[in-house]
Formats: sequence, structure tokens, C-alpha cells
Amino acid sequence: MKTSTQHMARWVRAAGVVAVSASMIALAACSSGGGTGTTDASTQTDSGGKITVWVDPPRVPAAEAFKKAHPEIPIAINQIDGTVGNDQLKQQFAQFNQAGKGWPDAIFFPTNDSIAWAAGPQIHYTADLGKLLPDVVKGYATNSIEPCNIDGKIQCLRNDIAPDVFWYNKPFFEKNHYAVPTTWEDYADLAVRIKKEHPEMTSGFLGDAYAPDRYLWAANCATNDKINDTTVHININEPDCLRMKTLLTKVVDAKAVSTLGIFDADAAAVGKNIAMTPGAPWYGDYLFKQTWKIPAATMTATPALAWKGDSKPSAGDEGGGLWGVSSHIKGKELENTLTFATFVASDPAWQVELSTGLPAYGPVQDAWIAKQKQVDYFADPDATFSAMKGAIENVLPDHPYMLYITGGIWTQEAVPALVSGQGVDAAWAAFGKELTAKATSLGYTVKDSQ
Amino acid sequence: MSTEMTTRSVVLADAPARTARRSKRPPHGHSHLLRRESRGAWLLLSPYMIVLVIVGLIPIGYAVVTSMMRAPTPVDPTSGFGGFSSFVTVFTDYRFIQTFLNIFAVLIIWIPIMMIGIVGMSLLVHASPGRFGSTMRFLYYIPAALAGIANLMLWVYLLNPSQSPIQGFWNLLGLTSIKAVVASPGHLPFILTAMLFFQGTGTWIVIVNGGLNGISDEVLEAARLDGAGAWKLAWHVKIPLIRPWVGYAALMNVAYGFQLFLEPQLLDQVSSNAVADQWAPNQLAYAFAFSNFNFPAAAALSLVLLVITLAIGMVIVFRSGLFGDEEH
Repeated sequence: MKTSTQHMARWVRAAGVVAVSASMIALAACSSGGGTGTTDASTQTDSGGKITVWVDPPRVPAAEAFKKAHPEIPIAINQIDGTVGNDQLKQQFAQFNQAGKGWPDAIFFPTNDSIAWAAGPQIHYTADLGKLLPDVVKGYATNSIEPCNIDGKIQCLRNDIAPDVFWYNKPFFEKNHYAVPTTWEDYADLAVRIKKEHPEMTSGFLGDAYAPDRYLWAANCATNDKINDTTVHININEPDCLRMKTLLTKVVDAKAVSTLGIFDADAAAVGKNIAMTPGAPWYGDYLFKQTWKIPAATMTATPALAWKGDSKPSAGDEGGGLWGVSSHIKGKELENTLTFATFVASDPAWQVELSTGLPAYGPVQDAWIAKQKQVDYFADPDATFSAMKGAIENVLPDHPYMLYITGGIWTQEAVPALVSGQGVDAAWAAFGKELTAKATSLGYTVKDSQ
Repeated sequence: MSTEMTTRSVVLADAPARTARRSKRPPHGHSHLLRRESRGAWLLLSPYMIVLVIVGLIPIGYAVVTSMMRAPTPVDPTSGFGGFSSFVTVFTDYRFIQTFLNIFAVLIIWIPIMMIGIVGMSLLVHASPGRFGSTMRFLYYIPAALAGIANLMLWVYLLNPSQSPIQGFWNLLGLTSIKAVVASPGHLPFILTAMLFFQGTGTWIVIVNGGLNGISDEVLEAARLDGAGAWKLAWHVKIPLIRPWVGYAALMNVAYGFQLFLEPQLLDQVSSNAVADQWAPNQLAYAFAFSNFNFPAAAALSLVLLVITLAIGMVIVFRSGLFGDEEH
């Protein structure tokens, strides 16, 4: 038999409070993160040679090719999540800045928008490659290196260029005597007609993070219209945007385009039956051939679509990844990292032999095209490569990468409305609202937000 | 709650907790013994207290200090003392209310189902004598072993119409992709309910069953002699006696619900980023820290969550009676 007292009872209860609350405290406090310090970029380190590079899955062969070409340079290859539109990298870099260490020496950013925060004053990760690798930078055409030009410094190197062209299924078109559209309006009309005549065929995808680049950027829609470092113009209800909204409403209502994304696991089955779509050069090898396994001599490309009445095509740009180099390193570590950056940006061993995208680095473009022609995958190789080569000229300007990820907001807000059948109106409203709210929450002043 | 409405007339002599708290002071001569007991209690608690200070109190202090700072922004990358501005940022954030509404939607669906499941299955296990009962208890516990990622993988498989064994069910609802299943508006609270129920029930059945095993045979025998059948025995005798355990289960689950993070975060990834990144309050805190680089706001929101969960903890301890001392 045990004797209890009020004193002990109080004590037991207090211990109970502590015990019950402990896990909650730990969890709640954990998410509070670190303090507010920023890292002084002047404290650079030198590992003595060994470099660490972070790459997404499609870029692992680039790092492996470097390892083979430069056995003298010790390298650790870390494969990171390649989901376009996710912002896990931000979290890791915020933590490295808190800790003052841990940054990779070089990185391939899976999301191009990442360059906005990586080069920004709070994270301050990227080195000025205009100074460090001037000869490599000279190899790029001005508009292909433009996304890396931030505050007058070249803060990344473009891996490939991804201006949209127009892809179509040549044998399908020929068999059914369809004319290849050259305008956005014709594309929408034909998509609806194809759906009626061939219900199994699809004429585009709307559910991935590149969809706003594919469609809204091509309409000159004000999603990323940067006025200055702290002010942005966002209005997806201006006439330029609304012409694309009308077009998308038409094709979505007719179920002529898929609400899945091109990277969805379920997309391969739909993708096999693609009739046509705007898309980047890397669609050809990476998406059509390797991922969706569309037979050879099926797909071919023509120049991007124009708006009726315009003399020139209007296209967006779907990725065309960016390599960054750490500003936190010096000495042998920096030297080896620059060797790596030079290799992945310009060396034919990667850019010609292995890369699936059209190299952004000018001097290797013809060799890449020659190599791709040998593979003989496309239905009309000459037309395809000619369309790819000139495509960068069709990308509309004034669309820099921002701290908010437009594609991520699209997948979160517009896609649920589309997959659940609520239509383009609901998707548009949800997307516009979140775009403005997210930009504001990140500290931008949003001008003219509808 | 159903247990509140039960008749208390059959609750017999050793009823737990609340009344026992009003126990008498010990005789004066026991003060030496008391001191020894107190020393012993401190000694036994000391390892825990050390851990509490390191992983609990120090981070909380750090969070309090951090929340008082001013976050750098692209406009003004400097930081300094900001007073309560971070709390203003949190409370006025456009996602703040929505994240709590999302959590309430889950709690309203999940908690009643969870509690009926726990109590119902515990009573069934307890009423099943011998090997059958213990086998069932073990079977119920198996899903709880599939914690975290393993549980999620199982659910990714179930939720994906193209490979799920319940493909027919999804097709019946007109859903053909995992994105449509997970991201269609209004689906997430039900999916989370299913995941949390499946993962959590087994553990709580074991705990509540422990409470049921603590009911003395004399009490059950007396009730049977009074003519109580299995149903009356469960409703009028067993449920009132396990009330503290049931209350404890309810409140701990509510506390867990407030801290949801892993499940919506990972469901977002398997649906190709089609779920809001800031669906739950904890995800919003995460976004403040790692999307906005606003650590003060993240700390402030963490403190808000801490206050809520601490309050729930207090209720558990002082109201459920589970931690009350008993006089034998």
C-alpha cells in the first residue's frame, strides 16, 4: 500500500504536463528554424581539391562524364530531387547560410527560377562567372545566356536552350490530311477537330510546372514582368493573357488537351497518342523517345506558333537548365569547380555525346545536331533541327525568373481545378490570386494586379 | 462525447482520479519520508529533464528571441530587433486562416471516426477471451508498425488508380490519375483521415486495452450478477472506467492533428506538386523559413502552435484524470 500526498500529487501532475507536452514542444520548436544571420561571402574555404556537385537525375551522366574525363579531380556527386517547381533546395541553402557551410561547389538547378534566390542578396550563393570564366561566357549568344545575367553579372551557365517549337505527329497528320498549324488559333481549332475525329489523340498537356511557360509566356502574359528588384507587374486578366485563356478554355472544354503533366507517371500512356503540342527541343529525345517511347519517324518539329496577325512566332522557354558555381570557395577547390563548370557547359563529351537538349553553348550546337541526325529518330530531321536552331529568337522578352516559382503555383492552384473538371475559369482565378499573394508575401510590390 | 453521457451509478469503489485528488494531508511525522520521496523523484526525472532542456526549452528560448527579430527582405536585406512584427506577419498572412481551416476539416472528420474505432475495437478485443483476443490485438497493431514513409508508400499504392487494388472504387468516382485522387478539392481531409486512422488505431487499441485490463474482475462479476449482458457491460461499466484513457487518446490525436506536416508534404510530391505547399500550419511555418527566408515569422508561428499544443497538453493532464494519483 502506498501513501500519497498533495505535494507528490502536484509533482506527478507537473511531470505529466512535461511528459505530455515534450513531443509537441520538440516538434513545434524544431520548425522554428535558425536565426536571422546572413553569411559573409568573403569567408571562402578551400578543400584542397575535392569538389562536391549537386545534379538532378538527367544530369548525373554529365557529372559521370566529367569524372571519366578528369580522373585527377576528386569529386563527390550528389543526386538531388529533380521535380520542377518544388522548393526543397531553398530550404537546404537557407540552412547552409545559417550554418555558414555545406554549400555544394557546383549545382544544376532543377528549377530555373532557383537562380532568383540563389543569386539574390539573402542567399548570395552564385559566383560571377563573367569574371571567372569569360572565355566560356563568350561562347553563348546574348539571348541564350540572358537568364543568367543578374545585376549585370553572369551568375550561371546555361546547359541547354529550351525555346518552344511546335511538335506534331507527321504520319498521323499525313494520313488524315491535316494541315500543320502555324498560329495559336489554328492549333486550338485543330485540337478540337482531332478530338472529335480521333478521341484517343491528345494535343497538349496542362498539368506540369512548365505549362505556364508553354502557354502563358507565349501569350506575353504578365506573370513575371519585373519592373525593378522589388516591384513586379502581375495581371493575368489583361488582353494578352485573356487570348490564351479563351484558347485554353476551348481545348479544355473539348477535352482536346490532357490535364496531366508531361512528367506524371500516368502521362506516358496518354503521351503515346500525342497528335501535336508546343514544346521544347528536349521533348524530342528525352520525352518522346526515352520516356514515352514513341516510335521513330513519328514526331517532327516546326517553328513555334504565332498569334494571328503577327509576323513572328510567340514562344516561351521550358527550362534549359542552369549551372551555378559557389561563391564560397577559393584556391584549388575553386579551380577544380571551374574546370567542372567549363566541362558541363561546353565539352562535347557531355554536350554532344550525352545531352538530350540543344546545347546553349554556341560552338557545340552544330556537332550536337549532326550527332542527333545520325540517330535518325525524327520524321523530318532537317525541318526539326532547323526549327530548333532558330527557336531562341521566338522567345518573348521581359520574363525573368523571380523569387516565386510560377510553375509551382500553377501546379498547386490551377491543376487541381483542371483535374477535378472545374474548368479554366476556376483554374485561372485560383492561379492569379495565389500568384499575386505569393509575390506579395515574398516582399514584392505587385503593380496592376487586376 | 459518448463517454460523458454514460450512467455513473455502477462506477464502484476504486473509481479513478478526480475524487482521489482531494486526498488528505499525510500525518505530520512523515516529512522525512516525503523528502526522500521527493529526492527520488528528482533523481528519476533528471535524465528526462536534461533532454527536455536541450531539445525543448533551449529551442523555445531561441524561437522566442528569433521571433522578436526583423526579417531581411529583398527590399531591405538588413535585420535587427523587430518587436512583435513577426507575429503580425503571421496573423495577417493570406494563408494563415486557411491552414487552420484545413486542419479543422481533418479533425472534424478524423477524430470521431478514430475514437469510435479505438473504443469499439478495444471493447471487441477485450470481450474476446483467450488466444483469439490477443491475436486480434496483434493484428490491429500491425498497421501501426508501418509508420511514416512505409505507411505513405502503402497509401501511394492504394491511391493510384492505375495500380491500386481498389481501382474499381476510383473509377466509380471518375478518377483516373493519382493527381485527380489527391488534389481534387475536398479530397485531402478524407485521404488524411484514412491514413491517420490506419496508422494510429492499433497503438491506441493497445493503450485503451491496457485500461480495460485494469478493471477488476469483481466489478465485472458484480455487474454480471446484476444482470448486465455484454452490451450493457461495455456501455455502462467498461466505457465509464476507461474514460481517462479515451480522453487521453482523443486529445493526443487532436494535438497530433494540429502538427500535421509529413503526410500533406509527401502527398504533394506524389501528386507532382498539385497540393498546396502550405496546406497545414506547420507547412506554413516551414514556408516562412525556407521559401521566404523569414525565420522570425517561422519562429512566431511555431510559438503559436506551441501555445495551442501546450494548452491541449494541459487539458489532457488536468482533465482526463489519467495522471491523477490514486489511493489504494
